[in-house]
Amino acid sequence: MSTATLGDASPSLSPMLARLAEERATGALLRDHGTLYLLDGQVVHAESPAAPGLDVLLADRLPREGWQEAFDRAGPYGRVGRFLVDSGRLADGELELAHLGALFDAAYFALAPGSGPTRFRHGVAHWLGPVRPVSARLVARECLRRRELLDTLWPYPDTDSSPVVREDLDAPAPVTRRQRDVLDLADGTRTPPDIARALGRPAFHTLIDVRRLAAAGAVTTPREETGPAPVAVPRWVADVSQDPDIALLRRLRNALEAL
Amino acid sequence: MANTEAALKEIMTSIEGTIGVALVDYTSGMALGTAGGSKELDLTVAAAGNTDVVRAKVRTMEHLGLNEDIEDILITLGTQYHMIRLLRGRGTNGLFLYVALDKGRANLAMARHQLRKIENELEV
Repeated sequence: MSTATLGDASPSLSPMLARLAEERATGALLRDHGTLYLLDGQVVHAESPAAPGLDVLLADRLPREGWQEAFDRAGPYGRVGRFLVDSGRLADGELELAHLGALFDAAYFALAPGSGPTRFRHGVAHWLGPVRPVSARLVARECLRRRELLDTLWPYPDTDSSPVVREDLDAPAPVTRRQRDVLDLADGTRTPPDIARALGRPAFHTLIDVRRLAAAGAVTTPREETGPAPVAVPRWVADVSQDPDIALLRRLRNALEAL
Repeated sequence: MANTEAALKEIMTSIEGTIGVALVDYTSGMALGTAGGSKELDLTVAAAGNTDVVRAKVRTMEHLGLNEDIEDILITLGTQYHMIRLLRGRGTNGLFLYVALDKGRANLAMARHQLRKIENELEV
């Protein structure tokens, strides 16, 4: 992570995001691992393929039909969030907390270093509409804090995106209930984001659980079955078969001795 | 459910002696909302640090095999009380309220009672 930027107060804010915030830009910031939606320079939403959306996080509270109705009626006006509250489907604070959770979760992946080139499409708005806008500076700072937190737990990021599998330990350390749910789904096929989606939890929270479990030796990434490397054999060995004679045996012996 | 900002403001105004309050996500350590605070009390830092307090207690209970939930944690300093109250309502599961109180002005029993009331508003 580059720390060279706009003064000490914002070591985590990329120059492009800083400029868009300053210009009070509205639109979508597109990167390989996710999208940030800005309204008047503030972050109003974020999405990432790695992070479960609001529909997954709120699945217990709002069935698919509820989303569909809200989307049909308020989507074209970009006010789905407002509609969910006004129609009594969700409480104000409930939407707000779930939305903040989803926003920071997706932003973590969208703003990850090395997430490819960044493009900005002016004027694009998300169908959810503003729920609780957050300053770009705060989002960037929180993403940095989260990266540092993960590093202090277990400094190897391979468990973030690879399938994870539980290790059979002779004396496993006690795990919390949340971690047990994660362990139960660590089958060597699912990645932490897959586990998060299955549990209806934010992906970053699952990264934390998995890194802690990895540090305790309770999960690992499945080892690649490489086996011993094939031994290179001299080409003339292929011509040897039929008629081994003394000369050939000598050549073989010499070759072996030369190894 | 009240809007979180309103709930935090209500804690500031209705609980005597409140210095600052934060609504914190227990897993990530992020403050989802704060009110009050001061130069001496950075609520964002307090939020992240106190998740370790909660986590240590949760882990200890797992070690002990205590199948119980934590209602609250009280830390008494020379001049302050720090109260951590874990929320378990719909939509607030995995969050806790962190309240710093001035020891000289706060009535602990009253503060607890008020906090529970506001918490219910937040969870409804």
